[in-house]
Amino acid sequence: MTSEPRPPDPPEEAVQGQVVELPAASRVADMAIDELEMIYAFIYSRVGNRADAEDLTQQVAMKAIPRLRQGSPASAVRGYLFATARSVLGGFWSTRLGLSESELHEDLAMAMPQSGYSEESVERVRQVLEQLSDNYRRVLELRFLHGYSLKEVAAEMRSTVGAVKVMQLRALRAAAKVRLDG
Amino acid sequence: MGERPESRVDRIVSGLLRGRRLKLRGGDAEEKEAIVMAARLAAARGGPQRMSPAFRQRLVKQLQATPPESWMTRRAALVAGLGVVAGAVGGGLLGRSLDGSGTQPGAAAGHVVRPTNGRWVDVGSVADFVPGEARMVKAGAVGAFVTRNGDSVSAVSSICSDLPCELWWNSSQHSLVCPCHNRAFTAQGSSIGTYKLPSLDVVQVRVREGRVEVLGV
Repeated sequence: MTSEPRPPDPPEEAVQGQVVELPAASRVADMAIDELEMIYAFIYSRVGNRADAEDLTQQVAMKAIPRLRQGSPASAVRGYLFATARSVLGGFWSTRLGLSESELHEDLAMAMPQSGYSEESVERVRQVLEQLSDNYRRVLELRFLHGYSLKEVAAEMRSTVGAVKVMQLRALRAAAKVRLDG
Repeated sequence: MGERPESRVDRIVSGLLRGRRLKLRGGDAEEKEAIVMAARLAAARGGPQRMSPAFRQRLVKQLQATPPESWMTRRAALVAGLGVVAGAVGGGLLGRSLDGSGTQPGAAAGHVVRPTNGRWVDVGSVADFVPGEARMVKAGAVGAFVTRNGDSVSAVSSICSDLPCELWWNSSQHSLVCPCHNRAFTAQGSSIGTYKLPSLDVVQVRVREGRVEVLGV
């Protein structure tokens, strides 16, 4: 071990590692594109369709990217992109539902997912379904996860289309009330 | 006669299941919780989604056309809540970047670590390092993975470039792995996988009289 302080600027030949140098602007943009994949998955998991998810992701990119700092690490880029995404999503629901953002339920605040590509969102949906009664879970699984029509769900559950439609609404309301820890 | 709530919601559900945009009408807000849940369930059907190649390409073009002169200042970043939000994800890294930018304005992830008042720390004999295997060392507060390549050595930071987690060396895969999100890097610090992360910071290392020295603090 050496204890003698040395100047921080060593000879260039001492550095053996490989440094990937890109122009600062394209570097942040490249990093942001990868992060935007996560943003897209996050937004998609909240709006459930590609067209809206693309529009909103584009809005996030156009709002956030030009404001990112040169040299920001990926975590900072991600944090800022998610903050922007939450704001854009709030505006989306507010406009579509005709409500002020303060009137939107807290759920719409949309916590930032911890894992990549919103596996967490899919997992949360599974956990929500598990909390429902058998009939409610079944109707939502058949309709949403298996893509059954109302008629097919009715046949599967030996019920009528009208009754399934009502059950679907009640099941969605019940699912919206499920609170998961964390 | 108004639309019944169950029909109202089913109209929205049917649209979502056909992959259509969310089209809401006046009065739909009465069922906002059910509608939001329907969107989440519709999204879960296909599992995690990725951007289509065409959309990704469009975004890349738009980003490339974005003028780089308006990079956010530190103050603007903080005002916009960047510090608060990113703090929840990787406060350590963010803090490092924001604070470090004062002394190294051009610094970016993947750059060479240049500690203030750095000193060369002896981390062992060259013979202690198995060629091609990254070995973790500490040079004071600087953690690094040192790899011997013949008679020369290279070193990269032991901290992931994305999340503030300490990497580990997977000798069977010959890669440095971040335990926080299973992202991997080569021993030279390049990101492995489809979605590239920034390269690991490069730690300065040298060989003096058969001893490996790392620039630490």
